[in-house]
Amino acid sequence: MEAVATHCPYCALQCAQTLTPTPAGVGVAGRDFPTNRGGLCQKGWTSASVLRAPDRLVTPLVRGADGELGPATWVEALDLVARRFSEIRARHGADAVAVFGGGGLTNEKAYQLGKFARIALGTANIDYNGRFCMSSAAAAANRSLGVDRGLPFPLADIGGAAAVLLLGSNLAETMPPAVAHLSGARAAGGLVVVDPRVSATATLTENGQGLHLQPVPGTDLVVLLGLLHVVLAEGLADRAYVDERTSGADDARRLAAAWWPERVEQVAGVPAALLRETARLLAAASPSRGGAGAYVLTGRGVEQSVQGTATVNAAINLALALGLPGRLGSGYGAVTGQGNGQGGREHGQKSDQLPGYRMIDDPAAREHVAAVWGVDPATIPGRGRPAVELLDSLGRAGGPRALLVHGANLRVSAPHSTHVADRLDALDLLVVCDVVPSETAQRADVVLPVLQWAEEEGTMTSLEGRVLRRRKAVEAPSGARSELWVWRELATRLGAPGTWDTDAAAVFDELARASAGGRADYSGLSHARLDAEPDLHWPCPATEGEPHPGTPRLFLDGFHTADGRARFVAVDDRGPADDVRADAPIHLVTGRVLQHYQSGAQTRRVEDLVTASPAAFVELHPVLADRHGVEPGDLVTLTNARGTVTAVARITDAIRPDTVFMPFHWPGEQNVNRVTNDATDPVSGMPEFKVCAVTVARADLPAHPEAAGPLLITEVPA
Amino acid sequence: MRLVVIGNGMVGSRFAEDVLARDDAGKYDVTVIGDEACETYNRVLLSEVVAGRQDLAAITLPVLAHPRLSVLRGVSAAAIDREDRVVVTTEGNRHRYDQLVLATGASARIPPLEGLGLGSGALPLGVHALRSIDDAREIVAATLNSRRAVVLGAGVLGVEAASGLAQRGCPVTIIHPADALMERQLDVSASTVLVGAMPGFGIHPRVGVGAEAAIVANGRLTGIRLTGGEVVESDLLVVATGTVANTSLAAAAGLACERGIVTDAGSATADGRIFAIGDCAQPPGGGTGLVAQGWDQARALAERLTGTVARGRAGGAGASDVVRVKAHGLDVVTMGVCGGSRPTDPEQRTLSLSDPAAGRHIEVVVEGDRLVGATCIGAGQVAADLVAAYTRRTPVPRDPAHLLLATLSSAPPAPSSPGDLADDAAVCRCNSVTKADVARAHSRGAHSVAEVARETRATTGCGGCKDEVCGLLAWLGSRDEARLTATAAPV
Repeated sequence: MEAVATHCPYCALQCAQTLTPTPAGVGVAGRDFPTNRGGLCQKGWTSASVLRAPDRLVTPLVRGADGELGPATWVEALDLVARRFSEIRARHGADAVAVFGGGGLTNEKAYQLGKFARIALGTANIDYNGRFCMSSAAAAANRSLGVDRGLPFPLADIGGAAAVLLLGSNLAETMPPAVAHLSGARAAGGLVVVDPRVSATATLTENGQGLHLQPVPGTDLVVLLGLLHVVLAEGLADRAYVDERTSGADDARRLAAAWWPERVEQVAGVPAALLRETARLLAAASPSRGGAGAYVLTGRGVEQSVQGTATVNAAINLALALGLPGRLGSGYGAVTGQGNGQGGREHGQKSDQLPGYRMIDDPAAREHVAAVWGVDPATIPGRGRPAVELLDSLGRAGGPRALLVHGANLRVSAPHSTHVADRLDALDLLVVCDVVPSETAQRADVVLPVLQWAEEEGTMTSLEGRVLRRRKAVEAPSGARSELWVWRELATRLGAPGTWDTDAAAVFDELARASAGGRADYSGLSHARLDAEPDLHWPCPATEGEPHPGTPRLFLDGFHTADGRARFVAVDDRGPADDVRADAPIHLVTGRVLQHYQSGAQTRRVEDLVTASPAAFVELHPVLADRHGVEPGDLVTLTNARGTVTAVARITDAIRPDTVFMPFHWPGEQNVNRVTNDATDPVSGMPEFKVCAVTVARADLPAHPEAAGPLLITEVPA
Repeated sequence: MRLVVIGNGMVGSRFAEDVLARDDAGKYDVTVIGDEACETYNRVLLSEVVAGRQDLAAITLPVLAHPRLSVLRGVSAAAIDREDRVVVTTEGNRHRYDQLVLATGASARIPPLEGLGLGSGALPLGVHALRSIDDAREIVAATLNSRRAVVLGAGVLGVEAASGLAQRGCPVTIIHPADALMERQLDVSASTVLVGAMPGFGIHPRVGVGAEAAIVANGRLTGIRLTGGEVVESDLLVVATGTVANTSLAAAAGLACERGIVTDAGSATADGRIFAIGDCAQPPGGGTGLVAQGWDQARALAERLTGTVARGRAGGAGASDVVRVKAHGLDVVTMGVCGGSRPTDPEQRTLSLSDPAAGRHIEVVVEGDRLVGATCIGAGQVAADLVAAYTRRTPVPRDPAHLLLATLSSAPPAPSSPGDLADDAAVCRCNSVTKADVARAHSRGAHSVAEVARETRATTGCGGCKDEVCGLLAWLGSRDEARLTATAAPV
């Protein structure tokens, strides 16, 4: 096969790659593109290794009478799944079969999965792991800007700005090639990073390249209220912009008025002088004051909170006061995390949405989508339960009895994961589609082997709303099948209405029609057009004559609200759900390391990555380590009411003494989600991954690094 | 239910908002009676207005618009008729209440100083308190022509006012009769450090000296005579000698008043229908004069009246006894156990670091494994960290002396030469490439950045390590050359 131009399988930056199949395997090289400029991180360079994972799933598996997963034919497995789904539906109602999707699925698959749930299963209960990822940013952007596109401008625009306020994002580890776009702000001394850790990204502010604010975990909203306070108090706001392009400024001002910098300092631990300096730096870079431009960007660090939506709205309020959104060279954006975290939330796998970013309880939306699907609008179910609630309801009275999982490894990635594991175990039927035996697949009743990124065609929508083509470079192992095929087979067996194409280009065309007129309108796009024009951002509606050029920059002429104005949303601080207290006096924050992605199901199978980053660890400050008699390399346990997690100590003063950090890519004893909090944001349903309270102790056991196990591969019979 | 609030200041207005935000059942109609004609404003920030750091307009608090809230501005309550449950205004209007909340605040205490015309109610020209937005406006206007300002009283507000005046470019003398500035918060050694720092910010402190008289000519201030007879010439005097709770309305209605309106821990007076919050109140532990306490009382009372509990951050308003002076350059933070007059407690350890030449003084008080008090002058981030530890009661380090210093930057000193770099030091973080990896590539003939990138992938992630790779290649090249030279040298 020839060299194929495609994009990386991992994060939302979707770095451009060239894949060259050779007899020895698939060669990977970076490809020049405006986002990654030819760069790849170690995950991208080594991505082809997963194609040859020794435990790659190549045959359906069915749990037998002996309780073990054993190989089955596709017909056996699909017949079984369809029969059990039908039985459960007949006995407990259609909502008793639930679906859990993923932000790594292509647009075509996200679309088809949502459709499969609604008209093949007839269930309201579909949600996806993007609920853990982008839901707070999405909810906040929708209520303020009228539409949710992570970056409503091309990433490269950021390069021209003199100031970038980056809240809760560790770009330098999570999407390294993106760092190049911060060089303009760094050269101007204008990169401001807000993170309780001196993260790799925070170090980019050193040597006069910017400022690092190191707040107490769970106080980001307070920091933002304080910044807005200073902007308003010192007359730094863009008054003309606020008057002409926004509404609701007074209510936001009323709440920010109570957060003068000295009060913020008391709650957030960020010196008042640093807050003032930050606000002035942002203002000086803002267009109304003749600056070169300023951006406010948020990441999961501030969004994965019970007040995540409020925090993002506070960030947007600050950007609005400075007159940034909808201006060339300035703006607000959320840095999307998962590979198709953007597209995954637009095409209908969210519990409250239909394709085109339509709301499921909007009658016009239902009518439009029903026409595309060829069904009666009345047959489309209503709003389902959002992820945390859905998972909690599994196997309970009135809750789902069966779950179909695509592109998610819930046993590792869900908050309070031991509880989620219990709920999964309480199901009558768990069906997992995956490429490797993930921790979730290993406990499933039926495992269906599906395709990897280099084995399939499709599209992904990157963090900047650009629709990218994913292309097939190699043949899949003979036993694996496309999910599009799996759903067609199941839909047929279930006697579902509608058409079930297995060709991604055809599914895309249907998706495009379903999205027409919606907030995320793809109707002017097709695989053929995207092959010819790799630079198209949605919305891109179908047109009569000249094709629509796509929309790299939103809001230049107005916001997508009813009156065209961006809304200040009045928000105030309530604090985290699980704050430190006498019996849990230390904050725990979680995050990623460069070498691993999400639950690690893929990256823990890549030797180079495992060598560089073999196991989970607990970062703790020397003062805290000293207090607990912990030496580097000791095993440390973190405990709270939800559970205990154990990992090796890494002692560093790059973290606050009142806080410990753990990455979340590992299963079992090392799985930090055993203790993270599943309390959710009332608006978005986002769980509070990013802050909870724990006790720290040295594990009594001697450290056994090998027990931490670098490569966790379970043999699965072929 | 009719809920009447007397006082539309920071605490009264906040209380009305807190009640309505929690009153989903629509149980209350709220009437707020405030004697100031202007919009509610942030009194805490008046010293910022004096300093020119905040616009007057920017400190107004936009009013909540709510169908069940009516706010009467420029209206004074004249009497409370507890029998009929009516508040009578000076205009004679009657407002019936089912529950009444007094948030009447406090007034500036004017000391009985000769020349201040105590009792006449009118201060001489050039003499101001700093309690209202009008005071701030007048002081700002007065600074335009003032040759020297005097601040009487160096409590928190006095220090903030002096700093504000100094920032306006006005030379300032601050007079304080006690032996320490802010003596409720600072002991003599802490005060001495603050005294030493003040001249650098245009403030001339006179500690341990009181004022004897205001010298007034033609109804206008010309100077202050100190105890001992010395005269400080001045045309602007800001009096910051404490406050007096506004209790007359409550006292006239027969409610118990001492330093303030006496309440229980739930802000209730002996009349179960009447409550007092903020600076006018005297709860069991006494009032702190800090807005945080008033806001905590407002929230707690709103929850009590509406029967709701909303999730809120512990110490969300800032712990009730953390004092943070808002003064440009003068960084003073205290909390809990502090000040010179505190009793010694054998359970407590007190550790301090004093660095007067650098304007720094830090004292921490530890009991068990908790921080129970601290005094910080010029401590920057350390003070912010101590507040976080104090308000959240996080455990202190095994050796509490670690509380006194910020940890040093995590960045190790950059090696002076690539040769000093350890072999396993990461050169390219994005691709896990070490110095040894680059050296290996170099030995295999990779002599340019592009060649090293091809061999090792270094520089192909974020690109931030290009300079380091260049430096490393140069070093490797010269090392090889030196070896070659050494080999080739005649024996």
